[in-house]
Amino acid sequence: MIHYEKFTLENGLRVLFHRDPNTPMAVVNTLYDVGARDEDPNRTGFAHLFEHLMFGGSVNIPDFDAPLQRAGGESNAFTSNDITNYYDSLPAHNLETALWLESDRMLSLAFTPQSLEVQRSVVIEEFKQRYLNQPYGDVWLEFRPLAFTHHPYQWATIGKNIQHIEEATMEDVKAFFKKFYTPSNAILCVAGNLELEDVKTAVQKWFGDIPSGAAPKRNLTQEPVQNEYRTKEIERKVPSDAFYYGFKMPGRTQDGYYTADLLSDVLGRGQSSRLFVRLKKELDLVAEINAYVLGAHDTGLLMISGKANDGVDLSKIDEEIWKVIDELKALEISTIEHQKNVNKVRTTKVFSEQGVLNKAMGLCLHELFGDANGINLENEYYDAIQPKDIWKSANHILHQKNCSRMFIKAIK
Amino acid sequence: MLDRTKIPAINPVEHIRFVAPERVEVGQYTELLWVKDVDDEAVKVDFIFNAGKLRDKKIIAELTGELLLSGTPEMTSTEFNEAIDLLGGFVNVEVGPEDATVSVYGLTSTISGLIPLVMDAIINANFSEKEFEQELQTSKQGFLIAQEKVSTLARRAFVENLLGNTDYGRLTQVEDFSSVDRNSLLDFHKEYYLKGLTKICVIGNIELSIVEELIQRSKYICANQEFSFDYPFTTKPTSVYIEKEGAVQTALRIGRILFNRTHEDYIAFSVLNTIFGGYFGSRLMSNIREDKGYTYGIGSGVAQLKESGYFFISTEVGKDVADAALIEIKKEMQRLANEVIPTEELELVRSYSIGKLLKGSDGPFAMMDRYLAVERFGLDLSHYDDVIQTIRTITPEKLQALAKKYLIWDEMVVVKAG
Repeated sequence: MIHYEKFTLENGLRVLFHRDPNTPMAVVNTLYDVGARDEDPNRTGFAHLFEHLMFGGSVNIPDFDAPLQRAGGESNAFTSNDITNYYDSLPAHNLETALWLESDRMLSLAFTPQSLEVQRSVVIEEFKQRYLNQPYGDVWLEFRPLAFTHHPYQWATIGKNIQHIEEATMEDVKAFFKKFYTPSNAILCVAGNLELEDVKTAVQKWFGDIPSGAAPKRNLTQEPVQNEYRTKEIERKVPSDAFYYGFKMPGRTQDGYYTADLLSDVLGRGQSSRLFVRLKKELDLVAEINAYVLGAHDTGLLMISGKANDGVDLSKIDEEIWKVIDELKALEISTIEHQKNVNKVRTTKVFSEQGVLNKAMGLCLHELFGDANGINLENEYYDAIQPKDIWKSANHILHQKNCSRMFIKAIK
Repeated sequence: MLDRTKIPAINPVEHIRFVAPERVEVGQYTELLWVKDVDDEAVKVDFIFNAGKLRDKKIIAELTGELLLSGTPEMTSTEFNEAIDLLGGFVNVEVGPEDATVSVYGLTSTISGLIPLVMDAIINANFSEKEFEQELQTSKQGFLIAQEKVSTLARRAFVENLLGNTDYGRLTQVEDFSSVDRNSLLDFHKEYYLKGLTKICVIGNIELSIVEELIQRSKYICANQEFSFDYPFTTKPTSVYIEKEGAVQTALRIGRILFNRTHEDYIAFSVLNTIFGGYFGSRLMSNIREDKGYTYGIGSGVAQLKESGYFFISTEVGKDVADAALIEIKKEMQRLANEVIPTEELELVRSYSIGKLLKGSDGPFAMMDRYLAVERFGLDLSHYDDVIQTIRTITPEKLQALAKKYLIWDEMVVVKAG
């Protein structure tokens, strides 16, 4: 159970507070409700590029990192297709430094051309390092547009291509900030060995006078029901053939998300899962195989992916994957197999919530979904799921007309 | 009116609490360490064996580790994994140069079921022909994929050149996958796992009886010796370029043999390293990422070996700017040797480093790591008091002297791949 308090400032900023008496550190986590899905299709990669610019100095403070380091702290951030999340951790008695810094960059950025130019280059190098210069690195650049034809999930967070990053202008940057970086579009969580009243006073002091701005309206093109089996094959200079199957599934706040999550575990989480046992241990067809969900907020994907053993044809693997799927659709799984996956989810949750930072991030995310307390209800959600729900979910999700499949053929 | 241009008052960290784990002797060369102060259900148990890659051919140590939990005469690998999964547990085996670690993750309510399962699997591992063949193929595929990365190519060439006259410098080659046989794994297991347990690290708020039972079970596989090393660690400066067709980035690794935590200059050099390439605001990051935009990231550190250590710089940069990046790295080294570090920068690094030390000592998992990092070298937690003392008092002159002594470009191994 993660205890928390919640209050909202007049400008719309939602604030969560988690008291942890056992740590000398404090965390300030700021979630902005903006991700790559909010980008213009002709200006992709922008939410992430912008995240870099948030460290380039704000209206009253020329350098973000140095003052935080001087206070004994450090900071980082990440961008996903759905959100952008910034976090600072520092000795609890210096909390105010982090609030001062975070509030100033919520108020306004410095917008220097130098910062834009440098971060543009840095992000291009990141693009190369993570997506272009790695074996199988461009999988998601290729797979997303196959699985999503309408929804902005069709591009990766890094962007469709390097060119979009090269073309970003200062006007784009300013407009993006004005639209999305407002108090009412953010959720702040402060965590540590602190007192509620002190946190309230300090947050009000630093964030209270930031103008609320207009709350951005999200009106994304939703992905229509797929209704066709999409296949794609590409050739790459990689050592082994690889396969990727993506099935449309409910988003995180939609009914059926947790059931689909457990369904993916039955299929391919760990070494006693169905796909692993059949295709790897029994039939010797694959070197690795996994199933998982992307955790997307809108309609997302349940993925099956892996790499073929040398000399094994992908069509043979394909046949066996569908056999495993058909068996799962024919017969309910046993109570024991079901309980196994629920137990693993429970352990994972305990470990993923270690430390104040993970707790603060989790609280912000659930608040975004509608209620921070959702983080404390997840075990109940999973416990309520029965084998027959998994069976229904399998029959609903795991069929060809809901599936996109990509093969990577290895060429020498 | 709020003055946003003024930084709020900053207070220094007064005190960091270091707490040693409870220690129980299990055998002459084996101990159990226990951190009990955990405020939730999480439990982690690590079994550390004298079974690192230095003991034999690297591939034998690696495959034995990878196959350690792959079945016994009584239980197939799938049955084992079913049993672990049913308890909601997770297991992992990590083979380092000196040690191999088997980690078990569970909850206070399940750990007493997980421990006997894992110990039985370790003790009775039979490395069946089928499991061996499957793992060989998987492992080879992983090897070939890694070989496609410029970072792997650079790291291999770096290690080979820097540590080539020690066993640390031996590398697995693709041919090794065809020559290795199952019997050598059985022998390795017998020698280094069944007689190789050196430590059991328990983190969790569990019953004493569970720990007592764990100790009893462990007695049969205690280490029968302590390994010592005597390698000639010396740097022979070289420059290597490995070309990779089609690469859009070049991986750089630069470094030299240095020392480990036990050396009198270690703590002070660590402060110098932080300034040079050890944090986000370091000289290398400020110049090569934040000024030039050549890379997504660059850093430096001091790798710790049992009897020595080495300094390294690591980055991946745009292929067209690789040489320009090398020139800047060299310049930054020379700048530290030729110019005194400004007070403001040094004060920032003092505060940052102490904050970082506080953060790295926060919680039971961090505290166990802290303890192991010193215990491995025969030091105790008072080492960190020395660290704090040095961070607070080291002078710019001392740092400059260290840069002159150790950060000498012509003494470095320089590797470029891409």
